[in-house]
Amino acid sequence: MADVIIENLVKRYGEVTAVDHVSLAVQSGELLSLLGPSGCGKTTTLMSIAGLERPDEGRILAAGEVLTDAGQRVFLPPERRELGMVFQSYALWPHMTVANNVAYGLRTRRAPHAQIRDRVDEVLGLVQLEGMGARYPYQLSGGQQQRVALARALVYQPRILLLDEPLSNLDAKLREQARVWLRELQQRLKITAIYVTHDQAEALGLSDRIAVMSRGRIVQLGTPRDIYERPSDPFVADFIGQASFLPGLVESAAAGRVRVRLRNGQELSIESAAAWETGAQVLVAVRPERVLPAEGRTENVLTGAVRSHLYLGARHQYVFDIGELELRIEAADELPPGQGRVYVPPQAATLLRQASA
Amino acid sequence: MLEAARLPSAQARNADAPVQWGIGLLAVLLILFPIAPILYQSVLARPIYEPTRTLTLANYARILTSSEFHATVLNSALLGLATTIAAVALGTLLAVLVMRTDMPARGVLGGLIISPLFISPLVLAFAWVTMFGPQGYVTIALRTITGSDPWNLYSLAGIAVVSIFYYAPYAYLNAAASLSLSDPTVEDAARIAGATPLRTLMTVTLPLLRPAMTYSALLVGIGSLELLSIPLILGTPSGVDTLSTLLVKLGVMGGRPDYGAVAAVATLLLIVVSGLIVAQERFIGAGQRFVTVKGKAIAPRPFAIGPLRFAAVALCLAYVLVGVVMPLGGILLRSVVGFLSPLANPLESLTLEHYQLVFQTESYRRSILNSLLIAGIGGGVGIVFMALLALVTYRSELSWRRLLGFVALYPRAVPGIIVGIGFLWSFVLIRPLGNLRNTIFALAAAFIMRYIPYGFSIISPTLTRISRELDNAARVCGDGWTGAMRRVLLPILGPALVTGWVLLFITFLKEYSSAVFLFARGSEVIGTTMLALWRQGDMGPVSVLAAVQVIVILTVIAVMRYGFKVRLYG
Repeated sequence: MADVIIENLVKRYGEVTAVDHVSLAVQSGELLSLLGPSGCGKTTTLMSIAGLERPDEGRILAAGEVLTDAGQRVFLPPERRELGMVFQSYALWPHMTVANNVAYGLRTRRAPHAQIRDRVDEVLGLVQLEGMGARYPYQLSGGQQQRVALARALVYQPRILLLDEPLSNLDAKLREQARVWLRELQQRLKITAIYVTHDQAEALGLSDRIAVMSRGRIVQLGTPRDIYERPSDPFVADFIGQASFLPGLVESAAAGRVRVRLRNGQELSIESAAAWETGAQVLVAVRPERVLPAEGRTENVLTGAVRSHLYLGARHQYVFDIGELELRIEAADELPPGQGRVYVPPQAATLLRQASA
Repeated sequence: MLEAARLPSAQARNADAPVQWGIGLLAVLLILFPIAPILYQSVLARPIYEPTRTLTLANYARILTSSEFHATVLNSALLGLATTIAAVALGTLLAVLVMRTDMPARGVLGGLIISPLFISPLVLAFAWVTMFGPQGYVTIALRTITGSDPWNLYSLAGIAVVSIFYYAPYAYLNAAASLSLSDPTVEDAARIAGATPLRTLMTVTLPLLRPAMTYSALLVGIGSLELLSIPLILGTPSGVDTLSTLLVKLGVMGGRPDYGAVAAVATLLLIVVSGLIVAQERFIGAGQRFVTVKGKAIAPRPFAIGPLRFAAVALCLAYVLVGVVMPLGGILLRSVVGFLSPLANPLESLTLEHYQLVFQTESYRRSILNSLLIAGIGGGVGIVFMALLALVTYRSELSWRRLLGFVALYPRAVPGIIVGIGFLWSFVLIRPLGNLRNTIFALAAAFIMRYIPYGFSIISPTLTRISRELDNAARVCGDGWTGAMRRVLLPILGPALVTGWVLLFITFLKEYSSAVFLFARGSEVIGTTMLALWRQGDMGPVSVLAAVQVIVILTVIAVMRYGFKVRLYG
């Protein structure tokens, strides 16, 4: 198994810079997700690793071997990279049986016939498709097709597995099952995997680490917990889960506690390890599900009024007006309508520096 | 799990680049092969095969000041204009009637209206001569009644009428395709807004057809400029020349060919047609000059046009009767009778002597065999080559593949007759290839070159619909470009290749204009033999060859449609 190193990768399409100096190190055996909205450069990055896109700048190494070095004009074609890839559409060849689809990578490597047969059977077993070898792709369900695509990518033991939104064509229920199954398989095989997705729940559930991308850059790299609980900027906080952003000024900062005066005059005290100077313009990012009813508390309490209420079955969703600001709240219990008070735990909010306008 | 030793990685496949370059260069050379010697000869004082090569502009000066050339340009312009306007109007009207009204028998009429597409214009011209020429069946019949000639088919107007019937199906197909793709709810919206069916037709349906009509106009305009057979057959007896027949006159007929003049006229024609092609390209994306297999049309609500629908049926029937049934019936009948005239019962002179003559004369028989070989084998080789070219253009990383795509479509601008002249001269110039000159390989190469854009337009819609992920997956699995094309893309393209092969078979069987200059003793094809027999005034065997061509093509179409459920055209 191998590690992947990406250094200063740049890919431009005419005026547009799709990938803008991306650097990344993927550990051996790790599953790393590239997460971001469409057009953020995640797929282009993956295609550059696969050799299906030719980067304009930068280097990519796998297990110490240079796959691409734009500066040295080194470019290994995809067939020489020893990678496995699962495509978004699965890209199963419609004119070949499942067994022939899976055997393809072994045939191009001129494996002996007996070995091809055994390995195809073994891998079909691995993806729980025993006995399906003689079928054609169109005779399979979406979930089965997705597993054939995976078998085809794993059969020749690639050093790295690339996955391009492999679950996006499955319906919601199946997608959740496939997510668990895929994670188990990856951990069992201990294969290094790079996973592209725009679905934050998928990335959070599957990954060892997540690289959140926006406009061709990596905006935050960290474990799912880091990303969710300590987003580094408003984009990440908003893209991963939901958040309300309350603008304000730093009043004082001491011993990991920062006191912020919100624009509407109310004050909050937030836990933060970073150093903040007094008067700094900040955004307080608050996850809707972390806001609680005040219930007699006096510290970190915001006063306002419920503006709207959506009933979602298991939960309630509110928009809570505090002066000119609004706070989104998601709660298991129903809040009383009209005027009210809510509590924002100091450790539940994240302080973000506001870009000076 | 998966503990077996890792297999050796795929071998370095250095063949990919040479394969891509090879296909690309072969296409470029094949396309330059006929064009280069024409451009060169047009500025040479002496014939191109002579050792002295003096550059001059005298050829152009001679042509541009010749009154014969002026008259020819005028004829071509008038013919092009009249054919374009009338064929587009007629074809579009028929398409609207068939596709959008409640006229009875629409399905049958639709099939009959496009049937001239399967007929070579040469056959159509002979068929019209048989029925409507000065000694034609209908003409004589009317003459006996009225005492004077009702019309003169051997005139510019006669050429235009036959050309209109030949080109109307192309305009019909474009309009029908546009109608079947357009969203029928826009018409429903007009109806709900209070418009009558007729008003909806005039204010919504027809304006939406404007792009299709403009496109058809350019297509027909280009076609009628380069069309050889109809003006050749109908214009020669009365001395009416167009640019394409002038080329034949200067280069084949008459005593000594005037090489410089032929090249200068050909170059001028190339420039004009190239200009029109650029206009067409601007208008709609490339690759659509030739109408090919269309998807099944969705049938929207037809307009109820009331009693007008009987007039509509009458119009369609008249078109089919005059344009298809009578000429084709006439030429088929002509092939089995001693002579065809309203003054005698044709059944009394029933005979198979024309068939005997054709099948017992070696050169006639050979021309049929040659046509079948070129169409069958040449068409097969051609479609594979065109598919490879499309793969290199759309699916390779060749640095100049965009340029290649442009070059591959260029033969559209080269009239068939010019292809023939150019091939002939190149074979003369390039000594090592001289041995091929008098063989059917020369003809097959010329036909393939001429129809590269056609094959391209058959393959590329299918190719562009095949997800790139399919070849990318093969590459990631360790296969090189060549392997991915051979094992993944070509097999998936299989059905398109078969359809393309059949369409090329039909096209090559009909093709003659690029053979007029190029054929030699031993490499005759049906078209050239028909022309030779016609010059001897022997209409019986001409009809036999025409009948053979029509019957072979109809058989192929019927087998495809009923045997393989593939509808060619419309």
